[in-house]
Amino acid sequence: MDETFDAAIVGAGPAGISAACVLADRGVKVIVLERGEYPGSKNMFGGVLYGHHLRQIIPDFVERNCPIERNIVESRLWYLSEEGGLSFAYRDTAFFEERRNNAFTVGRAKFDRWFADQARAKGAVIVSATVVTDLLTDDAGRVTGVKTDRADGDLRAKVVLLADGVNSPLAAKAGFRPEVRPENVALVVKELIALPEEVIDERFGVSPGNGVTCEILGNVTLGMNGIAFLYTNRSSVSIGIGANLADFAMQQARPYEMLESLKTHPMIAPLIKDGKPKEYLAHWLPEGGYDTVPRLCGEGFLIAGDSAMMFNALHREGSNLAMTSGRLAAETILEAIEKNDFSSSGLQGYVKRMQDSYVLKDLRKYRKFPSFLETHKELFTSLPRATCAAAREMLTVDQVPKKARQRDAWKAIRGQVPPLRLLRLVWDAWRSVR
Amino acid sequence: MAKNTRGIEVAEIMADKCIACQICIGECPVGAIELSPEGVALIDPEVCVGCGKCFESCPVNAVKYQKKKRTKLPGEERKVPGAGLPGYQGVGVYIETIDGRGAPVSWELVGKARELAGQLDAKVLGLLLGNNVGPATDEAIAYGCDEVHVIDDPLLSHYLPATYGKALSDLCGKLHPAILLVGATPLGRDLAGVVATRLETGLTADCTGLFIEKETGLLLMTRPTFGGNIMATIFCQRHRPQMSSVRPKVFRMPDKEPGRKGVVSRHELEAPAVDLPTIVSFIPSGDFAGTDIVRYPALVVAGRGACDPSSLPLLEELAKLVGGVIACSRPVVQSGLMPYERQVGQTGKTVAPKLYIGVGVSGAVQHLVAIQGAEKIVAINSDPNAPIFRVADAGIVGDYQQIVPELIAQLKKKKSNGKSEL
Amino acid sequence: MYFVVCIKQVPDTAEVKIDPETNTLVRAGVESIANPYDLAALEEAVRLKERYGGKVTAVSMGPPQAESALRQALSLGADEVVLLSDRAFAGADTLATSYTLSRAVETLREENPIDLVLCGKQAIDGDTAQTGPGIATRLGFTQFTYVVDVEWIDPEKKRVQVRRKVEGGFQVINGPLPALLSVELELAKPRRASLPMLVDSLRAPVKVWDAKTIGASLQLVGLKGSPTWVKAIASPQIHRAGPKWDAAQGVSGAVSGALDALFADEDFEAKFRKGWEA
Repeated sequence: MDETFDAAIVGAGPAGISAACVLADRGVKVIVLERGEYPGSKNMFGGVLYGHHLRQIIPDFVERNCPIERNIVESRLWYLSEEGGLSFAYRDTAFFEERRNNAFTVGRAKFDRWFADQARAKGAVIVSATVVTDLLTDDAGRVTGVKTDRADGDLRAKVVLLADGVNSPLAAKAGFRPEVRPENVALVVKELIALPEEVIDERFGVSPGNGVTCEILGNVTLGMNGIAFLYTNRSSVSIGIGANLADFAMQQARPYEMLESLKTHPMIAPLIKDGKPKEYLAHWLPEGGYDTVPRLCGEGFLIAGDSAMMFNALHREGSNLAMTSGRLAAETILEAIEKNDFSSSGLQGYVKRMQDSYVLKDLRKYRKFPSFLETHKELFTSLPRATCAAAREMLTVDQVPKKARQRDAWKAIRGQVPPLRLLRLVWDAWRSVR
Repeated sequence: MAKNTRGIEVAEIMADKCIACQICIGECPVGAIELSPEGVALIDPEVCVGCGKCFESCPVNAVKYQKKKRTKLPGEERKVPGAGLPGYQGVGVYIETIDGRGAPVSWELVGKARELAGQLDAKVLGLLLGNNVGPATDEAIAYGCDEVHVIDDPLLSHYLPATYGKALSDLCGKLHPAILLVGATPLGRDLAGVVATRLETGLTADCTGLFIEKETGLLLMTRPTFGGNIMATIFCQRHRPQMSSVRPKVFRMPDKEPGRKGVVSRHELEAPAVDLPTIVSFIPSGDFAGTDIVRYPALVVAGRGACDPSSLPLLEELAKLVGGVIACSRPVVQSGLMPYERQVGQTGKTVAPKLYIGVGVSGAVQHLVAIQGAEKIVAINSDPNAPIFRVADAGIVGDYQQIVPELIAQLKKKKSNGKSEL
Repeated sequence: MYFVVCIKQVPDTAEVKIDPETNTLVRAGVESIANPYDLAALEEAVRLKERYGGKVTAVSMGPPQAESALRQALSLGADEVVLLSDRAFAGADTLATSYTLSRAVETLREENPIDLVLCGKQAIDGDTAQTGPGIATRLGFTQFTYVVDVEWIDPEKKRVQVRRKVEGGFQVINGPLPALLSVELELAKPRRASLPMLVDSLRAPVKVWDAKTIGASLQLVGLKGSPTWVKAIASPQIHRAGPKWDAAQGVSGAVSGALDALFADEDFEAKFRKGWEA
C-alpha cells in the first residue's frame, strides 16, 4: 500500500500492544498487524498479570475498566507426590490494600481486546485477521516494512517490531533467530473450569474479587521437567500443566492425560469439585532462558516478548517481561525517530535498556536454571516422593518415640535420594540462581 | 433478587457501574430497558421477564441478576390486558396453489385453523388467489374452510409480489380476519412480508406452535430464534390480522370431507397501478437437487460424522430399503457434499417423516427443531454424548461404517421374514 | 447508479450456546459479525458499481457496536456508511425495522435518486426474511426475492433482470427500477479486503443518524412501533430418550437391540412392512 507508517508492529499481544500504547501516546504513526480474528484470539498464557508493569503503560488501568478477574492475595507453592503434597504459601494484607493488583488474573481474550482498545483510543491503527508473511528488505538487507497476505499488502515503515509470539514464524524466516529447539520450549495445556464465584471465594478462603495462585511441582509431570498451576478467576479456575517439549518427545506422554490425572490429585480435586470444564487450550512457553535470547535488534527491526524468548520460568513471569520489553522497544523507537537513525546502531539503545532493566538482569541471573532442572530430574521423580514420605512419617502420631521417628523420616528420604545426590542438588540449585 | 408485582424475579442495573453502552437495551427481548434521564440504563421491573440476557451481555457486570433454573414453555409470565379487538373475526388461511390445486401446506394450515377457530367460536376463511383455481376452491371446503373467498383473474396466473400482495391485502381489508395463516414456502414467505407491511400488522415467521390464550383470545405463536437455540413465544396485541407463517409438515394434514358444506364468494381483482415485472422464463433444477425431501416417508440423514463421499452409496442403499431418500444436516451442505435442497434444519427444511435415521448427526438444536415431527427417530453416532440420543427412540453408539451395513442386512431380513410369515 | 445496501450486525449463531442451568442464551464472548447474507448483497452492489459506475452506501440499524459491521462494509468497497442508532429504535420487530430502514433510504433518496436497494435474504439470528419485502413495499420498489444472479441492468430504460430461486428451479424475471433485491448467499462471494482499504476503513468517519434525522415517527420505531412482542423465551423441549446400544459390545447385537426398540410399536412395524402405505 502507498501509505507508510513510522512503526509497524507484528502481533497484538502484550508486548506489541504495550509498544503501540507508548508510541501512539507520543503521536507516532503506528500500525499493529494481528493474524487472529481479534487481538487475543490466538494467544494463551497462564493467566497472571502484574500491575506495576501495566501501570507503566496505562497508569489508570483500573479506572479504565481493565477486565481484572481476581486480585492475588496469596501465592502457594506445592510440591506434590502421587498421594500427597507439601504446601508453602504466603498471604499478606498488603496485597489487599496498598499493594493491590500487584498480581492479578485475567482472561487472555478479554484482556487483550481491552488492551488493544486502549491502544486504539490513543491513535494506534490495529488491523486484525491479517497475517504478516515476510519482512520487506532493501538491497542492503535492511528491514523496510512487512509483507501481508492481503491484496496490495506490502506495508512500508521506518522500523518493524516483531512481537509475534514464541513460535514467531517471522523471526525464524528472517533468520534473526534460529528455529526454536524442543529443549528450549515447554508445551503447556490449560483448562478453564467453571465454578460459581461464591464457591471459589469459599474454597480458597478469599473475599469476592481476591484470589490465589498455586504453582505446582513434583511427580505430576511424570518425571519430566515441567510445572503445573492452578489460578483463580472470577467464576472459573485455570488449571494447567506442561513440560519441556524435548522431554515430551522422549517420554511419549500425552499432555491431556496429564491434565486429567492432575485434576484427580487429592490436593486439587476438592478445589475443583463439581466444576464444569469450559475451554481447553494449548500453547508453548519459552524456557531456554538467557542463552536462547536472540539478537534483539538489527537494521530496521527489534524483537520483543516471547519472540525474544523472554520468560522467567522460576518466577513464573512472562507477561511482565513482554510488556516491559515492548515498552523499552517503544522508547528506543522514539529515540531513533528523533535521530532518524533506524540502523542497527541507531537501535542499539534497546539492548542497553534491556540489559539495565530487570528483564535481562533476571534472565541472566537464572541463566543456569534451565540446565539445572535438566540435570536434576530427581526434582520431579524421587525427591517429591522422598520429601512427602518424610513428612508422612513426621506427621504420623503414635507411640514411636520422636528420635526413632526422625530416623525413619531420614531413612525414607535416603531410600529415595542418596544423601550425596541431595547435597549436590542443593549446591547446584544455589549456584543456578546466584 | 427483587420481584415484580407478578412474582417474577427481575434484573436490576447498578447505576454506579453502568457505562450506558446500551448493549442491554438492544439485547432485552421484551424491551424492558431504557436510558434513564440520568443517562444510565434502567429496567422496568413490570416488563422484565427475568431472562437474564442483559446480565449476560453487560460488558462491565453492571446487572444484578440471579441465574436460576428455567423450566417450561409459556407459563404465566405476562398477563396481557384486553380481549380480541372488536370488528375482527375469523381465522384466515392463505391457500397457495400449484397448477390450480391447493398446496399441501395450505391444507395443513386449514386443519390447524379449524382447531383455533373452534376455540374462538369463529369461522375458517380460505383466501384463494390465482387463475382457474376451481379445483382448489372445492378442496378448500372439503379440508375444512367454512368460507372460501376467491379472486380468480388472469393477472394472477403467476405469482408477483405486487399483484398477489395487493389482492390478499385487499381481501383482508374487506373481511377483517382476526388471524391470517400463510404457509412458509418461498412464495408464502415473500407474500406474507408484503401483506404484513401493507396491513401494518405483525407477522411472526416460521412458527412451530400456535395456541389461543384462554383469557385474552390472543394467538400465541412459538418460533425458534438464534438458529433454534431459543424458542420464543410471540403475540400481536393490538394489530390485526395476527399473521403467522408456518413451514410445511409442522402441522398434520387434516382429513378431507368431500361432502362438507361451505360458502364460496368471488371477488374482483383491483389491479395495482404499477409497471409490473415480466417473467421471462422458468428453469427447472436438476433431478438430484430437485428432490423434495419433505415428501418422503423415510429419511436417512447424513451429519458431519458421515460427511464423506464414500458414505453416500451406503446411505442411499439404506434409504431405498426403508422407502425414502437421503438428506443431510447443515455442515454437510456447507462442505459441498450435498446441495441445499437436501438440508434438514432450521435454515433448511422442516421434515416429519415416519422414520428418521440420523447417521453421524450430532443433534444441534437447530437440527432437532426441524425433526420433532418425525414419528420415529433412530440415531447412529460415535459420540455417546451426542445430543441426538436425547430425542432418539433408538440409538446406536459406534462407527457408522460398521453399523449401517449390519442395519441394512437385518432390515432386509426383517422385511423378507414378514413376507414369508404372511 | 446509486446502490444502497442494508446490513445487520448479528451474533455468530454458530457459536451461540445455551446455559443448561438457566436455559438462556450465553451471549458473552460470542462474536458479533456482519450477517453473511448482507455481505453477499454488499459484494454484488460493489461489483455492480464497478461494472456500471456509481456509488454504494451501506446502512445498518443497531447499537453503537454495529459500527464495526459498517467499517467492514467500507473495507469491502462501500463508499459511505450510515449507522442508524437511537435508543428509540431498540426492541424493534420486523415491521418497525422495515419502517426505520425505509425512512433512512428515503432520506438518502433526497440527495440522490436510488436505483437499487440490496439486502440479504434473512438475518441468521431472526431468520424471518421479512424485512426485505417490508422495505420494498413501503418504498414502492419492485421486489425481487431469493436472487441468485443479476443478469443485467439497463440504466437507460431503467430496468433490471435477475434470476431468482423458486420452488422447483429458477425464474428469470425483469422489472422496472427502482428495485429491491433480497439475495441468496450464492449471489456473490465477498472479497477479502485489501490492506489499504482495511486500514482506511478503521479510520473513516461513520455517519450516525437518529430518529429525528430520518424523520421517523417515534410511534412507529422500536418497541413502540412493533406489533409483535415476546411473551416468553425457553429452551426447546424435545425429549424421547430412547435406549442406546453400544456397538463396541458387538455390532449385530446393538443393531438388533435398536431395531427391537424401534419396532416395539406393532403398528409402526406393520406400516414399515407395507412400505408406508396407508
